[in-house]
Amino acid sequence: MSGLKNSRSRGLAIFLLVLPLFLFLLSLTVGAYRISPGGLFKAVLSAVAPASHPDVPEAYRDILLRIRLPRVLLAMAVGAALSVSGASLQALFKNPLVNEYILGISSGAAFGAALSLVFLGRTLPPQIAGFVFAVAAVGAVLLISGKAESHFISLLLTGIIVTAFFSALLSLVEFFASPYVLQALFFWLMGSLSLASWKDLYISLPLIAVGLLVLYLLRWRLNVLSMSDEEARSLGVNVRREKILVIGAATLITAAATAIVGIIGWLGFIVPHLVRMMFGADNRRVVPLSAALGASLMMVADDIIRGVSSFEIPIGIFTSLVGIPIFLILLKKTKKVWL
Amino acid sequence: MNVRVADLEFAYPKFSLRVKDLTFENAKITAIVGPNGAGKTTLLKCIGAVLPIRRGSLFIDGRDLSSLKSRERARLVCYVPQEHDTTFNYTVSDFVLLGRAAFISPFALPSREDASAAAEALEFVGLAEYADRSISELSSGERRLVLIARALAQQSDILLMDEPTTFLDPKHETEIFQLVRKLADEKTKTILVTLHSLEMAVQHSDQMVFMKRGEVVAQGRSAEIFEDSLLERVYDMKMKIIDWEGRKIVLR
Repeated sequence: MSGLKNSRSRGLAIFLLVLPLFLFLLSLTVGAYRISPGGLFKAVLSAVAPASHPDVPEAYRDILLRIRLPRVLLAMAVGAALSVSGASLQALFKNPLVNEYILGISSGAAFGAALSLVFLGRTLPPQIAGFVFAVAAVGAVLLISGKAESHFISLLLTGIIVTAFFSALLSLVEFFASPYVLQALFFWLMGSLSLASWKDLYISLPLIAVGLLVLYLLRWRLNVLSMSDEEARSLGVNVRREKILVIGAATLITAAATAIVGIIGWLGFIVPHLVRMMFGADNRRVVPLSAALGASLMMVADDIIRGVSSFEIPIGIFTSLVGIPIFLILLKKTKKVWL
Repeated sequence: MNVRVADLEFAYPKFSLRVKDLTFENAKITAIVGPNGAGKTTLLKCIGAVLPIRRGSLFIDGRDLSSLKSRERARLVCYVPQEHDTTFNYTVSDFVLLGRAAFISPFALPSREDASAAAEALEFVGLAEYADRSISELSSGERRLVLIARALAQQSDILLMDEPTTFLDPKHETEIFQLVRKLADEKTKTILVTLHSLEMAVQHSDQMVFMKRGEVVAQGRSAEIFEDSLLERVYDMKMKIIDWEGRKIVLR
């Protein structure tokens, strides 16, 4: 990890890794109903042992436990999931432009989740339906484009076609949805954390945790897999098996995130780039730091949405509007190869 | 370690490779030469299991290579590509460390031993002070040395080097060959190297294999086999070899 020999880089890395914990606590205090840090502490204590702080209003506990906690946890998990998924897929496909959207994973997951919400009444959880169709979408992209990892244009074109196909299927679901469901569906598709509930989190969080753990453990292996397939094979890697593992884990976490919050644009693409700009290309650093930065950015974005405006802008729109200019500014300032 | 190729067949849509019987001796440098499209690189990739062979067998000291798992095979044979496409800009030390993949479980990180094996390999090729530099900052010749260092970190006994000196200036070309000789003599590596430069091939190899249209035309000790008539037969053009201060020069 030669890039971290520099003490400034090391300090920045530690700061980034600790930041999500600080933002997690801060985010619990932010919202239309402001809770001071002291109030937060008391509310947590009263939730654990109600008799210890009988003076804490019931509303505090409700806001904290039923609304804010699931929402902030979801923001963290989704931010980390999409960023690590993006970093892993970029390394695997040896292309910094690859993301879950290009590979059809997002649109497949969105269709599967919408299908579950509109027609299956959640009998099949949207996370699972999203995962099934995300696998179908990425599988179709990879099969149709053949050895596309070495022919990016072919991969890109196939991804566009498969994404268009699943978008059409999604439109079909919208067409048959009732006006009430359609409104919720439309809001969800723009990317929103407002629908966060413990019920969804119980399913999504373990799926995201498993996928993140797999990709975290494979982080050095991603360096090997980012070589050409011929090189990786010669280095002793079972390329096919390990590719399936990485794509499977990345698809799982993207589907589990998309099923609850809809499509969050640009995060999975921008965060790994920002991390590489600061810390170099070694995935031993890129994977954990992308998780930390992605989680932090999602929480900050959600805090701004909840704390600043009286109405709620879908976070998917917000991440795109804010993320792209930040990326362009950094790109211009950095003026060096960081990939 | 000896390498033996028996009844090997591999086919692309418009090209097929057929090698009946070929042996590469332990701790020797064998230059594989021939015109473009002769199948030199394909042969190298088949031996390195980079390409899947359809028929035939590869034996290393009598062990059938097809019976080995990817990691076991990589500890015996290493394919060194001509160039590395630097999509991601790793540091030199991180790049050389990749040579340890065959010793590390997919879910594990490199150990201290792996790091010191990589550092030792970098030292051997004379680039120890480049460890923290980015791959993209290196010259083409330095990048070739880094590829060789990665192969050394892999600690396999057989190195398959695909045109390691293409596009290099004469100084770097000579340095690479001096290093290759050192690997064969000091580290007893069996080295197969594909080359276009006939002069370099005959000067630096112990044995030569001549290929044409996917087949082996001739093989033998470099000093004995290198003759005008063979070159003309392989390259379909008039060629003349002259001796100059103990070195062979090819006129065409």
